[in-house]
Amino acid sequence: MIACAVEQSSTGELFKAISETPLPVSLIEVTTAKEGESFPLQCRHCEEPYCIDACIAGAIRKDPETGLVLSDEEKCVGCWMCVMTCPFGVIRVSLLPDKKGKIAVKCDLCQDRKIPACVEACYTGALLFGEVEDLIRAVNKSKEDRDVLLNSR
Amino acid sequence: MCYLIVGNCAAGINAVEGIRKLDTNSKITVISDENSPVYCRSLITDYVAGTRKKEDILYREKDFYEKNKVDLILGETVKGIDVSKKEVILQKGNSLSYNKLLIASGASSKPLRIKGEEKYGVFGFRTLHDAEEIIKTGEKTGKAVVFGGGLIGLKAAYALKKRGLDVLVIVKSSRLLSRTVNAEAAGILGNWFKENGISIRTGIGPQEFSGNGEIEEVLLDNGEKISVKLVIVGKGVMPNISLVKDSPVKTHWGIITDEFLQTNVEGVFAAGDVAETTDMVTGTGAVNALWTAACEQGRIAGMNMVRKDKKYPGSIGANSADFFGLPFMSVGYAGEIKEGYEELTGSNNPKEYSYKRIVLKGNRLVGFTTINKIENAGVYTALIRNKADISSIRDILPEDYFDYPKVKDLLKGKEGFRESISPQGEIIRIA
Repeated sequence: MIACAVEQSSTGELFKAISETPLPVSLIEVTTAKEGESFPLQCRHCEEPYCIDACIAGAIRKDPETGLVLSDEEKCVGCWMCVMTCPFGVIRVSLLPDKKGKIAVKCDLCQDRKIPACVEACYTGALLFGEVEDLIRAVNKSKEDRDVLLNSR
Repeated sequence: MCYLIVGNCAAGINAVEGIRKLDTNSKITVISDENSPVYCRSLITDYVAGTRKKEDILYREKDFYEKNKVDLILGETVKGIDVSKKEVILQKGNSLSYNKLLIASGASSKPLRIKGEEKYGVFGFRTLHDAEEIIKTGEKTGKAVVFGGGLIGLKAAYALKKRGLDVLVIVKSSRLLSRTVNAEAAGILGNWFKENGISIRTGIGPQEFSGNGEIEEVLLDNGEKISVKLVIVGKGVMPNISLVKDSPVKTHWGIITDEFLQTNVEGVFAAGDVAETTDMVTGTGAVNALWTAACEQGRIAGMNMVRKDKKYPGSIGANSADFFGLPFMSVGYAGEIKEGYEELTGSNNPKEYSYKRIVLKGNRLVGFTTINKIENAGVYTALIRNKADISSIRDILPEDYFDYPKVKDLLKGKEGFRESISPQGEIIRIA
């Protein structure tokens, strides 16, 4: 969560990020399913995303090449339709830098990075990043084997 | 193959994209009586408010039609359809033929049906044209009266206030949003509007508009007269079904559609504000005239026009808006408690404009309202859509810490639930 918030910040450095206005919002949240079972919650980049149907501003679109569900924050009008329809509850509310309103923000899977910040920061190996087929094969493998398979660390 | 789409808004545009997912070559014609390329109808609120410019409310890039190989016909009204000849008949008298037809003709503002309504200065709150006339008239006067306390009326009132006008909302019923939420939620929102300088009067309706060509005065049904040059009528919408009047296409509230969004006539589909679909909460036919529903219906209808195999799970009454920085949402049935229904509320603080209310019918969540506390609201919507049995999580439902992981087992694998993984891979959880 911290790595994600730092990634969203304008300085990109933890100690500067915590004093930024507005405070950067983490787009991944680790919460609990039931007692003792933690659960990382972030955008699924759905095949047929509800948030895209819901976006009255046409700000949320699916990138035809990468399949990523991306939001053009300039276009967002803050109507919260996407928040209302996302079944995972992963679209967050962020203040605009000028504090003149709020917009919806969502995970873009760190498209500017090779590996998403959250995956890089997750030292238990609970978060992995790769192609679906590779990820399926990586399940139940040792951490070393997974790293080789996903070529991610 | 030749696809014809009547309507160039949410449903029509998404139908183009739906068709092009499966058929990249066939001819698509889109015809609309409006004169502008597709814009976000819901954003006329932001345009009138002055927070978005006209060029910033376009829904798709200007080259959308070219990229999708669409023949766009603007400013032409479709008068009727001849399903035996597979033709639509235009107002001008000429006709266009089709192999598959989508009626996405939308809806129009409901008139008040009172004397003087045609006078200049009385506008609906729906089209870009409405918005431009409202802005123009607003510049000449400092005051506006809005009739209607539903979401359309409230959005109009908010936009005009943002623009700097004095705004009076006049509601025939005893309170705001009488057909959407319960009295408590309506009261909270009403107080917020008043705090932001909007006057609200209830239990009164308009009787007559007078003036010489332009409106000058409103006569109310209590005998009172108000001088005003700008009136917005926000009384809801009615589906534009006149084009099928003399055809075998069946209508009830709107054009009746089946689970594939096809009408009773093979090859003729309907989507958006004109289409009657099954409401997921009530299980009966309804026109849920909403942008979100129109997009989903358009896309699915478009795909079914190519290959009829994609079921539409049904529509749901769901709305969300932000008024002066206060988020407001209402989904499904969120009215007063009827027999067989019950409500759950969390730690509400009406004075701080913070409110959450969940409506249950037996073990099913059927609706909710949130003011301010909107995060995770989509999880409730998913529970409604999936008709999930919530008995095991009932107690934590209204809590602020409630979120998706708490209900993942209730939602997983349910029909209509669209969880999936991007083709490029994504972060998954290794169990």
